[in-house]
Amino acid sequence: MSLAIAGMGWITPLGSGVDAVWNCLLCGEQACGEKITEQLGKQSYTAFRVPESALTSLTPHPRLRRASVISRFAAAAGFEALKNAGVNVDEKTAERIALVFAISNGGVIYTKRFYRSIVESGAQSASPLLFPETVFNAPASHLAAILGVTGAVYTLVGDGAVGLLAIKMAEDVMANATFDYCLVVGAEEVDWLLCDAYRRWRLLRFEPPVEPFRQPARGMILSEGAGAVLLAREGSPMIERINPGGHYRKRAEAEEILKRILSDLNETRIDFVLSSANGTFVDEAERKALAQVLPGALVYTPKPALGESVGAAGMWQIIIAALALRRGELPPLLHAELSSQLRISTARLSLPHANDAIVLSCGLNQQAAGLRLSIR
Amino acid sequence: MTQSGDANGKKRAARVAVVAAGVVSPLGFGLSETLDALRKARDCVTPVTRFSVTQCRCKTAGQVPDDRLLNKKRDTRAQRLHRASHMMIEALGEALAYEPQLKPELLVIGTTSGGMSYGEDYYRSLHRHRSLRHAPAWIANYPAQKPLIDAQEAFGISAPCQVIANACASGTNAIGHAFECVRSGRYQRVLTGGYDALSELVFVGFDSLQASTPEKCRPFDRHRTGMVLGEGAAILALENLDSAHARGARILAEITGYGVSTDNFHLTQPDPSGVGPRRAMERAIESTGTEALRLDYINAHGTATELNDAAEGKAISELFDGVPVSSTKSMMGHSLGAAGAVEAVVCLLALRHQFLPANINFRAPDEALDLNIVGNEARPAPLRTVMSNSFGFGGTNASIVMHKFET
Repeated sequence: MSLAIAGMGWITPLGSGVDAVWNCLLCGEQACGEKITEQLGKQSYTAFRVPESALTSLTPHPRLRRASVISRFAAAAGFEALKNAGVNVDEKTAERIALVFAISNGGVIYTKRFYRSIVESGAQSASPLLFPETVFNAPASHLAAILGVTGAVYTLVGDGAVGLLAIKMAEDVMANATFDYCLVVGAEEVDWLLCDAYRRWRLLRFEPPVEPFRQPARGMILSEGAGAVLLAREGSPMIERINPGGHYRKRAEAEEILKRILSDLNETRIDFVLSSANGTFVDEAERKALAQVLPGALVYTPKPALGESVGAAGMWQIIIAALALRRGELPPLLHAELSSQLRISTARLSLPHANDAIVLSCGLNQQAAGLRLSIR
Repeated sequence: MTQSGDANGKKRAARVAVVAAGVVSPLGFGLSETLDALRKARDCVTPVTRFSVTQCRCKTAGQVPDDRLLNKKRDTRAQRLHRASHMMIEALGEALAYEPQLKPELLVIGTTSGGMSYGEDYYRSLHRHRSLRHAPAWIANYPAQKPLIDAQEAFGISAPCQVIANACASGTNAIGHAFECVRSGRYQRVLTGGYDALSELVFVGFDSLQASTPEKCRPFDRHRTGMVLGEGAAILALENLDSAHARGARILAEITGYGVSTDNFHLTQPDPSGVGPRRAMERAIESTGTEALRLDYINAHGTATELNDAAEGKAISELFDGVPVSSTKSMMGHSLGAAGAVEAVVCLLALRHQFLPANINFRAPDEALDLNIVGNEARPAPLRTVMSNSFGFGGTNASIVMHKFET
């Protein structure tokens, strides 16, 4: 079953709004790094955060009053996707919309705050207001309540591949004719604790830039925000095929699963690949898989510009691929070495005849997936 | 694709068989121990030993004993795995021992917190400036989806997975979605279920909401005072019935219906009108495609909180007349993301062995609820069709209908 992208929305460290962020990417802008400190440790980290100004257009709602910032990101992106598709949600349409939410680290800011009170002051000081916001499905629940969705609402957890896995799940959900649309949202918020965890996992670097496909890999910069796509049965571009991959056992084996995914999606001439290269081991796995299965394919990754937003990352990649197909243009790849043995462009590139793109996602915790978008 | 056509050439939904199952919970390891505990209506809730509960109102939970869970001879890598991973390996191992030839195309599994206690270890070590030597292992094994991936690796299953985190409804949502995947003809074989392990953060969280009780868990009792938490893992292997028949598989039961609803009333409280549970149950019944479906048993969500039992009880009494109802959480606690899966296994055992599982610690009926509670003791009963309910934070509600297999 093919699904189409009927609407898109995002909120990113480069701001919000489909056109505004797209124009920033086309102009080769990179998000501003912000220092994050925390009393838990001496080390400070740099992350790409969503600027305050990006949330000003979000209409206040009682459900968001005490919600964590991840829920606000999700709401902002979700509303934009619906508006972008020209879908007005009333009681009737809400019944025919399913919601699939992709998340990885979840509401880590409130979770940390809640657990801190337990550790510092004991269980009696734990806040009953914070606890519900720590559950993975809190952002999806807020968004469903605001939209009035009363049917299928699923939150999917996973690593950086979870966005594409959510699209696959949406395809399964849309097999049920009850639904006309499925709103797929990926969201993440950044915190010092996450930066520290990824650094201890040897995946993070302290300062930008993110240098894709560099050997040896120097690490990623975490970021935050949300991306949303409204899926329908008609529209453009179409999601022609989704390969939900599976998982790889060791980092060194990631290349194999990526080759399988690329081979499965490579049924037609591919004009470009939206890679998930983020300055970690992922880059080398993707580079080798691409070199073998799609030699000469044009490759772009948004992570030097936007950072690694994990749960939101896949949705951002899909949005960029869809915009590049619709508008016939690809942004410049930042901080890449031209000797990376891949076909890349460090300048804005016109692609007037591009019809097919692959979005590839290799997560940091063993999951991988891919999909092919086509415009006719 | 095994959607078959009817006389008018219209596509007919595939029938969905349960061909294997595995479970570990406070009731026991495996189907046999679980069946024994259910028949004896055993109270498996015990004082919490994993972390300090001195400042909590509630002091008890249903716990899977570590001396059995972690004593298997496993390699160094396996020793680093979280308890939730070990539970998943146990449950999946049992299901695959029953159906070694099963090659799943997809896994749909529910959880709420995965390896949360490793996150707690990491935070505490940072906070107290202790050694962070184990931090990389904690971090690598903390993600919610990791126990499923560990279990897949343990048995060489590389199929893609969908890990649903819909709070306490996760397990039933997972089974329901897996059921729809097979019924639609998109998949032939899907492994489904759920897992969750006790963690301090979640335990204290429910305590802070005063949702958990310092007393016994008494679902649907007039004097109910709240829930107790639990833990566990359960797996069901679903297969297209025609495909299962074709390869001579044993059919344990059929799943025939799934309903899901979102009531949007409050992040933690159900709509007191019971509209959320009622819609989920109505949709599950409707999805069976059977007119005038007769239910023989409902395994209720039944957390024993004042508000949940009132809303669910109201919905059940409005929809069904005198159907036997019990909440088996009274025996083993509420295992959150695993609950729907473990309770689906309870329903499977009830259907296979023709008995009604008990709602223990039941003393006095709630006069506001017109329910036929299976109080305190399991009893034999002819069962053909049963329902299992799960409701969670975020107003998410899910119900499945399971049917005794009849050729």
